[in-house]
Amino acid sequence: MGQLSKKTPALSLLIVGLLAWLLPGAGHLLLKEKKRSIIIFVTIVLTFCTGLYIGSIGVIDPVGAKPWYVAQIMNSPMVAALGHLTAGGGFPAYGRPNEIGQIYTSIAGLLNLLCIVNAVYLAHLNRAKMAGG
Amino acid sequence: MSVETLFVMATFRAPENIGTNPQSMLWLLPLTAAIAVVYKATKLPKITAINFIKEVAVLFGSIIVFIAITALALHALAWLTTE
Repeated sequence: MGQLSKKTPALSLLIVGLLAWLLPGAGHLLLKEKKRSIIIFVTIVLTFCTGLYIGSIGVIDPVGAKPWYVAQIMNSPMVAALGHLTAGGGFPAYGRPNEIGQIYTSIAGLLNLLCIVNAVYLAHLNRAKMAGG
Repeated sequence: MSVETLFVMATFRAPENIGTNPQSMLWLLPLTAAIAVVYKATKLPKITAINFIKEVAVLFGSIIVFIAITALALHALAWLTTE
């Protein structure tokens, strides 16, 4: 990471951001923040799975609930595969379970967005530190 | 694929049975805990078990107290406008 960071600073930040999006906590793991990455991974995956358990995979609805889907896809691009599966309307979810499931999965996505931004910021700080000293 | 795996996968295909009652609002508690944990994981400069748990507990409590105050204020407002 250090070598890459010196040669192509923008690319290293992009890699950290992409990794953090691909797998929650992976961006921090790349920055050798092991404890942070484990906490982030466990909490976000657990929150997302709780949402899916409560409302079923039908809460991921790229057709009928687009704004929620935008937040949900921040969890990982793998959510798009679930969205492809549910786009046909084969997993209907209504009422309170649907609401709670959507809120859980979307909040998990927004928390991961916070972690992506934080990982990129930490990578930028590390790079600035290396350049300065 | 084992029967247990199929059973776990099947639970994600149908929604749970949750009614529209006041108790269903308790589902906000685990979500609040998750928000407090992830927020503090990104904000603390150094993570140690005791300090992390203390910070998370304080943030979790603050959010719950603020929600309770907001709920009471809204309830009082609704009571004043309808009575």
